[in-house]
Order: sequence, then structure tokens, then C-alpha cells
Amino acid sequence: MATAPTPHLVFDGVTKRFGSVQVVEQPFDLEVARHEFVAFLGPSGCGKTTLMRMVGGLDQPSSGEIRLDGEPVGRPDRRRGMVFQSYSSFPWLTVGQNVAFGMKYRKDLSEQEKAVRAERYLDLVGLYEFSDSYPNQVSGGMRQRIAIARTLAAGADVLLMDEPFGALDALRREQLQAELRRIQRRDAKTVVFVTHDVEEALFLADRVVVFSKRPTRIVAEIDVKTRLGEERTLEMRDGDDFFALRREAIGVVRAAAGGEL
Amino acid sequence: MTEGRVIPDAASLPATRDAGLRRRPSAVGGAFRLRAALPRPWGAVIAVASSIAILALWEFVARLGLTTPLFFPAPSEILAAMGRMFSTQHLAWHAWVSTLRVWGAFLLAAVMAIPIGMAMSGFRPVGAALEPAIDFIRYLPVPALVPLSIIWFGVGEETKIFLLWLGTFFQLVLLVADDMRRVPNEYFETAYTIGASQAQALKDVAFRAMLPSLIDNLRITLGWCWTYLIIAEIVAADSGLGFVIWAARRYMKTPEVMAGVVLIGVIGLATDQLLRAIHRRAFRYL
Repeated sequence: MATAPTPHLVFDGVTKRFGSVQVVEQPFDLEVARHEFVAFLGPSGCGKTTLMRMVGGLDQPSSGEIRLDGEPVGRPDRRRGMVFQSYSSFPWLTVGQNVAFGMKYRKDLSEQEKAVRAERYLDLVGLYEFSDSYPNQVSGGMRQRIAIARTLAAGADVLLMDEPFGALDALRREQLQAELRRIQRRDAKTVVFVTHDVEEALFLADRVVVFSKRPTRIVAEIDVKTRLGEERTLEMRDGDDFFALRREAIGVVRAAAGGEL
Repeated sequence: MTEGRVIPDAASLPATRDAGLRRRPSAVGGAFRLRAALPRPWGAVIAVASSIAILALWEFVARLGLTTPLFFPAPSEILAAMGRMFSTQHLAWHAWVSTLRVWGAFLLAAVMAIPIGMAMSGFRPVGAALEPAIDFIRYLPVPALVPLSIIWFGVGEETKIFLLWLGTFFQLVLLVADDMRRVPNEYFETAYTIGASQAQALKDVAFRAMLPSLIDNLRITLGWCWTYLIIAEIVAADSGLGFVIWAARRYMKTPEVMAGVVLIGVIGLATDQLLRAIHRRAFRYL
């Protein structure tokens, strides 16, 4: 690649405890390059979601620091957008209004610019014709697309996604994964994607960070980008390379889980 | 019978089918399957038919002389009494006065309960501070506080509004807090990550998310207001439906007593249906 990865998002000795519960016990270090797609893969309760939430500013580290472009992250803001697994869109707004809601608090855009942007992102995620429908009138996959479009419309540089496709059926999930990867490459976004699905992590990410069960620790990093390249298609999923990588990764994850998976 | 036609069908079904679902239901039997849907006009038709049936039975029993008119007048007599009261006793004006009292107290309770309830659930210290007092007052019977209310406010409008407010505010505030508690955390967090402040998240997201259940709770609370209204108007009033009912009782004019009661029921029913219709229109997304 032309550009050398510069540290964009940095976890620097981060720990987290809620009351007496140590969620991230040992200081956690990680660097994420600009425009990199990183998947946090690990069993439930391993602290991966907490780490991601701290990037979003929704939780604060107990010690250590998370920096974005050298600046410590504080309160949540629109540069770090979240996509949740459930309740990801507002049921009282139409699909179009949900996407536009991402820009509600932006004062740097005129109403007309907002409308143009909303349309652009609706189109990007293929929801243009559902603009006037309500979220409960569209499928679960479309609801997750609403959330992605809203986050992009808000102008997020970093997308933080907490098992966003966890509730979808297998076919929709594959389709949405391919789409997310395409959007991420096109719009050059940095993504932190939390999942416990090995295949999902490998298919989406440039780099997969494998977590152990508590105490939170990185047990392996899988450089998917070198193995599979940057472009991901649904056909690749059936290829030998992907299959071999998947088998390796599952071995690593099993070892990390210590037979508890 | 339909049975004869259905059985061969049932026999041809695969044996693995649940026995309870096996028989194809007839139109009537199908409506009594647990939680079965009712086709559109049928709900209204059944509701009207049953109301008419009850009234007809009542009228019939009263006309046969099975009841003493003094205790249990026929619906036609009540209706006639109501007509008389409208033309000679200013019944419409009394109803209007009562309605104003109910809405005045109800709006006062709502305007106070909504922000306080939201604050109680949104900010733990506020909830911790207010909940014991509210829970205590909530269980005080309103009639028991009538004497105190008269000592405080005399026998004017203030006492009536106070009693109605007392009966609704403390219930409503806890219902509002509950509505707010049910707003998913994800909604707040989504708002924060697109740049909303706390106040904006409360106004644009939390309030909006809880609005349908809030309106439902307001509708139910408004009904309670009418209950307390009668207590307030019986104790100390020279106007309102409670006064009319109480005055009629003194002369044992049972049809007039019942006419007053019926009018309250009619106003309640009409208001409730109106609010339901508004609810359906405003929250089409539900």
C-alpha cells in the first residue's frame, strides 16, 4: 500500500473497573491505523465491548488513556459513531428522518446540505426508496443499515460497532457484511467491530484482535489484510484461502477460550 | 353442521400436527381461539350489540315491575330525567364546571409530574430523595384528606383542585418515572454519539421514546380525576355533577342521581375514545 499506517486510534495502558468488578484488569495497549478495519474477537464478557465503548466516550477508563489523533477522547461526539445490535434506530422517525437525525446537532451544515447528505447516505446503504417507511416496516437488516447511514451522515471518522449483525439471519448477515466492507473502503472509515463470530471477523477486518476470557488480554492478532487482501467479496468466502484462514483462526480462538467456547 | 365437513380434512392432516390445532375452526369457534384476531367491524358491532342488550334487559326488568322505581328506575326514566335536568336544572353548565375542574387539576398534575418523573428516573439522587415521600402520600386515601384540605384551602375551587391533584399527581409521577426507565440506554447513547447534550437527549429522544406510554398513562389518570371529582364536589360545592347527584339524593330522586352518574360515564367514555383515536393517529409507527 502507498501510505504507511499512522497511529490514529491508540489504547495506552487502559484498564477499567466497574465498582469492584475489574473488567479490563491488565493495562491494555493497541494501535489502530487510520482507515483500518479492526475486529475485536472474543468470548462474551471478555471486555471487548467495554474497550470499544470507552473509545466512544460512553465509559471512561479507570486508568490509562485512549487517544484519537493524539488527543485524549473525552465525552462522546459525532466523530466517533456507535452502531448497536438492538434499538439501533428510533421507531418514531421514518427511515429518512432517522438518517437525518445524525446531523440534527450539526451547526456547520445548512438545512439544504443536510437534506442532500441524508439522501446520499440513504442511497449508499440502499434505503432510498424506503425513506418514508418506519423502521418497524422494514427488515432487521435494513434497520441496521439505517444506523450505519445515520452514523456516516453524522460525519463519524471512527465507526464503533457492537455486534451489529448479531440478530440477523445468516443470509442477510453475509450480505450486510459485504456491504459494510464496501462502504468502509469507499468512505475510508476506521472501524472497530466487536463480534464473537470468527467468520464475520475474518471476512470484514484488516486485522483481527483475539481476546482471551478475563483477565482481558490479547492472545493473538491475525493479519487478514496480508492473507486475503483488501477487497472482500461473497465469492471469497467459499475460496480455499478463506477456508484455511478460518480453520487456523478457530484453532487460535479455541486455545484462547481454554475449552470454554 | 360444519363438523361433518371438517373431519375428513382433519384426518388427512399429518399426524404430527398438534391435536389442538387440528380441526379447522368454524367462524365462531375461530374467534374464541386464544388471542385470535377479530375482523375489523366485528369488535364495534359486538360492543354496540352487548350494550343495547344490557339496556334492553334492564328496561324490561324495570317495566315488568320486578324492581322498585325508587331504587332501580328504568333506563328510559333516567333518560327522561336527564332531559328534564338539561332544560330546567342547567345540567350542561354543571357538567362544564366539573369538566373544567377535572382538566384543570389533571393538567396541573401532568405539567408537574412529567418533568419530576423524568428527573426521578434520569437522575438517581432525585429519585432517591423523592421516592419515599411520594410513595407515602400515594397510599393516603384522598377522602381522608378532605378535612385537612378544607382547613388549608376553605371550601372554594382550590380545595377541589387540590383534592383532584392529590389523587393523581403522586400516582402519575411514578408512572412517568417508569416510562422513562423503560427507554433503552441505546437511545441515549446513540444521541450522545451524534453530538446531543443531556438536555437534548432528554427532549429529543427520551421524551419522544416514552411519549406513547406516557399518553396512555395520562389517559388512565384522567379517569381517576373523575373519581375524585365526585368526592370533592359532594363535600363542598354548589355546582358540578357531584353537587347535582348529591342534591338529588337528598330528595330521593333516584332517576336524577342515576342521570348524573350516567352523564359522568358518558363524558368519560367519550374523552377516552377521543384520546385513543388521537393516540392511534399520532403513533402510527407502533
